[in-house]
Parts: sequence; C-alpha cells; structure tokens
Amino acid sequence: MDQTLLEIRDMRIYYATTLGNYKVVDGVSFNVNVDEVLGIAGESGCGKSTLVEGLLRLIVPPGHIETGEVAAPLITDDETTNCDLLSLTEEEFRRVRWKEISYIPQGSMNSLNPVAKIEDQIVDTILAHSSFTRQQAKKHVSELLEVVGLSPEIARLYPHELSGGMKQRVIIAAAIALKPKLVIADEPTTALDVTIQKMVLQTLVRIKKQLNCTIIVVSHDMPVHAQISDRLVIMYAGKVMEIGPVNDIFGNPLHPYTQGLIATIPSITRERKRLRGIPGTSPSPSEWPSGCRFHPRCERVMEVCQQEEPKLREVSPGRFVACHLYL
Amino acid sequence: MKKRAILAYILKRILLYIFTIWGAFTIAFLFFHMVPGDPIAAYVRSMQQRGRTISGGENLGQEYRKMMGLDGPLYVQYLHYLENVVLRFNLGPSFIGFPTPAEKHIFLALPWTIGLLGIATLIAWILGFALGGLVGWKRDSPTSSLLTNLSLVISQIPPYFIALALLFIFAYTLLWLPRRGAFDAAIPKGFTWAFIKSVIRYGTLPALSLVIFALFGWVISTRSIVVSILGEDYLVYAKAKGLTGGKILRAYVLRNAMLPQVTGLALSLGFVLNGALLVEILFNYPGLGSLFRDAIGMLDYNTVQGIMLMSIVAVLTATLLIDLLLPLVDPRVAREGKT
Amino acid sequence: MGMRVLFARSKLLVIGLAILLFLVLVALFQPLINKLLIGDIDPITMGSFDSYLDPSPQHWLGTDRWGRDWMAQLVLGLRYSLVIGALAGSVATLIGVIFGFIAGYKGGMVDSTLRTFTDMILVIPSWPILVTLAAYIRGLSIPTMALLLALFSWPWGMRAIRSQVLSLRSQPYVDLAKVSNLRDLEIIFTELVPNLLPYLGVSLASATVGAILAETGLELIGLGPGGDIITLGLMINFSLGWGALALGKVELVFPPVLCLILIFVSLNMINMGLEEAFNPRLKRVTGG
Repeated sequence: MDQTLLEIRDMRIYYATTLGNYKVVDGVSFNVNVDEVLGIAGESGCGKSTLVEGLLRLIVPPGHIETGEVAAPLITDDETTNCDLLSLTEEEFRRVRWKEISYIPQGSMNSLNPVAKIEDQIVDTILAHSSFTRQQAKKHVSELLEVVGLSPEIARLYPHELSGGMKQRVIIAAAIALKPKLVIADEPTTALDVTIQKMVLQTLVRIKKQLNCTIIVVSHDMPVHAQISDRLVIMYAGKVMEIGPVNDIFGNPLHPYTQGLIATIPSITRERKRLRGIPGTSPSPSEWPSGCRFHPRCERVMEVCQQEEPKLREVSPGRFVACHLYL
Repeated sequence: MKKRAILAYILKRILLYIFTIWGAFTIAFLFFHMVPGDPIAAYVRSMQQRGRTISGGENLGQEYRKMMGLDGPLYVQYLHYLENVVLRFNLGPSFIGFPTPAEKHIFLALPWTIGLLGIATLIAWILGFALGGLVGWKRDSPTSSLLTNLSLVISQIPPYFIALALLFIFAYTLLWLPRRGAFDAAIPKGFTWAFIKSVIRYGTLPALSLVIFALFGWVISTRSIVVSILGEDYLVYAKAKGLTGGKILRAYVLRNAMLPQVTGLALSLGFVLNGALLVEILFNYPGLGSLFRDAIGMLDYNTVQGIMLMSIVAVLTATLLIDLLLPLVDPRVAREGKT
Repeated sequence: MGMRVLFARSKLLVIGLAILLFLVLVALFQPLINKLLIGDIDPITMGSFDSYLDPSPQHWLGTDRWGRDWMAQLVLGLRYSLVIGALAGSVATLIGVIFGFIAGYKGGMVDSTLRTFTDMILVIPSWPILVTLAAYIRGLSIPTMALLLALFSWPWGMRAIRSQVLSLRSQPYVDLAKVSNLRDLEIIFTELVPNLLPYLGVSLASATVGAILAETGLELIGLGPGGDIITLGLMINFSLGWGALALGKVELVFPPVLCLILIFVSLNMINMGLEEAFNPRLKRVTGG
C-alpha cells in the first residue's frame, strides 16, 4: 500500500491585479505518494508551475495563497504543532526547506548567484541545515558534482563560466545535497537542446534510484512524462482534469483534453498520421469559462458541460477524472 | 586562463587612463590657446585695475610670455607644454605667490582636499550602501518609506547649500563648531593629539556637508538596485534553499549590488569634487578650492591651469584605482566588458 | 493624455509640473509682481530704500546692503535663473539628443566611441573647467553663458535618449517599417520620435538641472553674466559677501537657496515622474 507523502487539498492561488482577480490555481486536490515520480502535465498557463511554487511557499505579491492545505506528516517534525505545510510559521518552514523538500526551478540558468562560486552556493545551504563543518560540506559538494557527472573542479568556478547544461546539472546536484524526501522539478527540460534534455532526465532517474526520494516533475512536454513519470496529474485552467498511472493515461486517456494532449505527440514507430492539435486557444485566468472549463474546446461537449462544473471522481482504483462523460 | 583575463583588463584600464590624461591635458592646452582673450593681457589689466602699474609695459608682457612658454609657434608651445606640464607638472611661477612655482601651492593644498573628500566620500558610500540595502530589503515598512522620501529630497540639495545650513546652525547660532579654516592657528602643526583634534573639529562641518549630500544619494540608488535584485530568479532560489534572511541579504543581495554601486562611486567622483571645491571656499578650507578662488581672483594663469589639471588627474586616478579593484568585487568584470 | 490619467500614472510628475508651473508663472509675471511689491522702482537700483531693513509688510524680506528690496530681487533673480537655465538646458538637450540619437541608431563603433566620450565628460570635474573658461572669456553674455553651461550638461540627456533609441530600434514595428522599405528618415519620424517624447522631457529636465547647478556654481564664485543681470546664485554670493550670516540676516541668504532647491526638486520630480509614467515596468506589477 502506497504511503502518502503529501495530501494537497483545495489549493487556490490568486493574483490580485488592477485588471482583476487572476485565479491561476483554482481548487486543486491530489495526493503525492512516497517514492513515486509524479508528473504534472498541462499546457502553458494551466497553473502547474504556480501550483508547485505554492507548495514551496514561494508565491510573491500580488499573488497569494487564497486557501489550501498540504498535509505532510512524514515531513513535518513532531515538534511542529500541525502537519499542514502551509500553516507552518516562516521559520518552521525554512527548516523544512531543502532538507526535506528541494527545488529544481524552471530556467535554472538564472538561479545561480552570479557573484558566488558554485561551491559556496551549495555549501551555504548545507551549513544552514546541518551541523557539517565547512570542510565536510565542501567535500560533500565534490561528491555531489560527480554524481551528476561533473568534474569536482568546477566547484571553484563562477556561474558565468559554465554552459547551460552544466548549470542545470549543478542545480540538480544542489537539489540532492541534503537527501530530501521530495524533489520538485519545474520544467527541467525546457529551453535545453535535445542531448542535454536526455542527460537531465537520465540524471533525474539515477538520483531517484540512489536516494529513494519522491519526485514531482512539472512539464508541458508529454514525452518527458512518458519517460520518467509513474503517475500523472493532468491540469487545465487551474483545475485537475485527470489523474492516473502513466501507462493508463497514455494507453487509455479518459478526459477529452487528455486525449487531445496524447494525440499531439508524434510517433516514430506507428503509422504516420496527421497530427491533431487541440482546437481553440487557452482561456485567460481572469475569466475562466463557466461550467467545465474545457467545454469551449471540447469535441464531445454536452449541454450540462456549460452549466455545471464536473467534480473529480475516482472511476477505478487510482484513476480519477473530472468530466460529465463519466459522471 | 582567468589570470590572463584580469591582466589584460588591468592593462587596458591603465592604457585608457594614460590616454585620457594626455587627451585632457592636450584639450586644455588647445582651449587656452584658442580662447579669445590673452591671459597675459588679462593679468596686466587686472593689475592695473587694482591700481598698480606695470613698469616695462609691453616688454614685461613679452618677458612673461617667454617665461611661461607662451611665445613662439603653436607646436613649439605644445612641445614645451608636454615637456614641462605633462611630464613634470612644472607649471611655472605663480602670480599669487610670485615667484613660487604654481605647483608648489597646489601640492600644499592637495592633501587637505584629498583628506576631506576622501574621508567624506568613503563614509557616505559605506553608510549609504548599508542603509540603502536595508531600506530596499524591508521596503514595505513605514520607516523605509519615510527614509526613502527623506533621502529623495535631501539628495537633491547641492552640498554647498547643506553647508550653508550647517554653518548657520552650528557655527553661527549654536556656536558649537568653528566657521572657517582647517585647524586652530594657535596650535602648532604636527602629529600631536591637540592638533589632530583641532583638525577633526574644523573639518567636521565641511565633511558633514559632503557626507549628508552623498549619503542620501547612495541610499536612493542602492535601494533601487536592491529592489530590482529582489525580483531576480536567484533570489527566489535562495529562499527556496531555506537560507536565513540575513544570509540572503548579505551574500546574495548586497554582494550583487556592490558592482553597480562601486562603479557608480567611480563615476560620481567628478561631481563630488565639484561640490567639495565649493564647500572649501565657503569654509575657507585650505584645499584646492580656496587656492582656486584666490588664483582666479588674480587671473593667475599658471595656478588656475594647474588646479584645473590637478582636479582632472585626481579624479581620473581615483577612478582608475576603483576600476582596478572591480574584479575583486565582481568576478564577471574581467570578462570582455562589464555586464 | 488626460490630466487624470497622468495623475493616476504618476503623482510625482503632476506635483513636479505644478511646482514648476508656479515658479514659471512668478517669473513671467515678474514686472507685475514687482509693481505690487515696490511700485515702479527698478529692483536693482541702489539706494531706493534704507539699508538692512528688517522684514516687514512693505519689504517681505527686508532690504539688502544697498537698500534694495530683497523680495523684489528674489523674483527678478528667479526669472533670470530660469531663463538662463532653460536656455542652457535646451541647448544641452539639443546636443545631447543629437549625440544620443546617432549613438543609439547607428550602434557599433560609433556608439562605443560616443559613449566613451560622454562618460569621460561625466567623470571629469566640470566646475574647475567651467570657472576657468568663464574667467578667461571676456564678456559673458547670456548666450555665451548658456553655451558654456550646456557644455557639461548635455551628457545627462544623451544617455536617456540613447538607451531609449536602442530599445526602440529593436522593436518589431521598426523592423516592419524597415521591411516595408521606408527610408531611414521616415522611420525616424513616424516610428521613433513619438516614443521618444517622454524621454525628451527627461533629457530636458536633467539638462536644465545640470545647467542651473553649473550656473549657480559659477555665480557663487562671482563669475556670472554680470552687469544688471541678477540671478539667484548671485544673490547668495552677495549676501554671503556682506556677511549676512554673521549679521544674523538669514532672510537674505536662505530665500534664494530655497528657491533654487525648489527648482531642482520640481525638475527632478518631473524627471522621475516621467520615468514612472512612461515606463510601466518600473512601477506597476500586473502579475499573472
């Protein structure tokens, strides 16, 4: 029986702007199991990056977490009064950061401090969360760099002296520095060329095996999920549309949106057929469509879809879908 | 490989420095030979206005010209200029203390100006940087807003005016501090505690004027740089890493703010010197400022030219020194150009 | 652009403009104000009144050493200071805009050379050079002085224009215009200029501040245009020369100081306000 690492309940992240309230994440709930690779998929603007930023409590004004609860009893200490990550104090959560939950941000190129050596940037985190000495921390950094396939000598270099791929690997090395229970990777392959993409994915798989950690991978790129995710959460317009094991989703997509996503993947092996995109354009967070948010673009739309929002329902063990076709 | 880049950078800067100094000296030379009005005639005129007659008339003018290398075709004068002024800073005799060479007066006054300016600028920069960093870091607090608005206003007031206000309050009304001079004339000069104390006492108001003006300017500029740094990706990442606020402020925010602010310091020196010279005049401080006023009053061509050139040299040299320190502040500098 | 929209975009800009407008109006109506203050007497004529009178309803700031109404001179000085400043600022802006435009539009070597040249001018201490030039040029008329002041004030404007031209040059609509075969000059006038106007304002404001600062610097050492022209800086010079501080007659020293500060503050507010209003990325964050 899978243990639950995170229980995300009704996460809502809103941005208050002069043009209106942007409900970027609007009621998302799902579980993350221990030791799995959970993929979050969906097109740009569906709120998946914002969701994980919310999990990491990195949302800045004008954005804020409107409501939500992230129960994580395995992560929080016995000392804290509750196990909801979102209601810990800043200082309590700071102690949780990196040691339990680490982050591989989108566009890692710019995440490194330009005026500090690579080594120092990882050492400072190690020192902040453990009782290592500086010497020990430096040695650990060398080992980490080797794990991701980099020469330990680059530890003394500055970020501008590294290539994009090298910087990405440094970020990954930093993410595993404290052997966290959870690693959140946001679009780890975007804006990289294909060879580096492959290398990054292989590195992620390798570290998962070595560390036995849980990984959340956010990507709009379905093939990425096909390669490394165990389970998939499909998001659209700030809500969850479908959840299930990755093979199931690829083999038998239930939600029309998921079907559309799968259909956009070109296949090298099977017969050539015309690629179909999903008609229409993504809606704007300032004005989500009524009822089911996908209804304007859905091929199998029914009258009820425009009026009532479908709830996420478990149609078979571990398989969830939010669509009137299945209610 | 890195060493070579830094060496190349240093070499480039030094060459630029030498070239600029040569350029400035040459332009000064050209200006003075193309300016309508003959400095010698002007001097003679000003002497006559004071009721003194110049015996020897025309001949004396010629003599002066020859003495100061102002006769002969232009290129001869230029060569004379290069040899004496540029290479040896031999300016010729001064009028204000004839026949003492002009450069002697200048070298006597220079330490006072550099001391005043140097100390004031350093204090203002360090305090302004730290304060501006804090204000930018905690920019939502009411104290920050107050400080920011205050700084916005004060930083626009030229140091001369600040000096006037300080002078009036502390020297004329409260009588806490002296009005003019750099030290108590009654105390013998030397490295005695009494003399040093008097130097500090007399230098307080002039230095304070310069500090107040510059400090609030640094607060504003540092604050805006910090605010823009706060929006950078690596700041978000630093927070995600669970580092403490203090550590992030020091190692991530302030260290990145240093480069533009140190560069800014170098660029501001000319401006600061302008203010310092005027403040010196107000306080009759025995630096280049007062010397300049006296020399201008007498149309002492050599001294005036010398002070002008010395000001340029001083600023360019200080800028060079700061530029040479830059690679220490930000490792990206030794690359081709700055970021 | 409606006033209300402008106000919403930047309070600074509107307040700055208001203060400046007030000062300009005072300068414009100087003859009238003078009449109200002291009747038909020319404010700079000596001996019109008794010397060193204390402030009173007849003489709001009292009189100076030569028996001249100080308030009337303040208004006159404001007028001259603004005129000289505006003139010098305009000349400086013209030079700065030309250089900035060429540098931004042409790019490459031209840009590098111009930028280095401009930076050099900014770094070098301008006051000693200005004073020296002013001392040796015989007869400083207002136009000559304006030119002199512009000499060191133009870099401030040049940078603003240059950076804006650079960023505009790579905008898609400029490329589009190039593709549709418009000549260089046409592109300049139809596409670039309208977007440059706020930056022109910034240039003008900065250059004017620089010019008035330089002008004050010259007058504090007594090197103004002289003659009958009285400016705020000259007033400060005079009053200090009379030992007004020692005499306790602060009303002679500080009003011109405050006037100048007001001019600087209003111009800088306009400067910052323009950047605020027309560079939305700086202030408002629209999230999403």
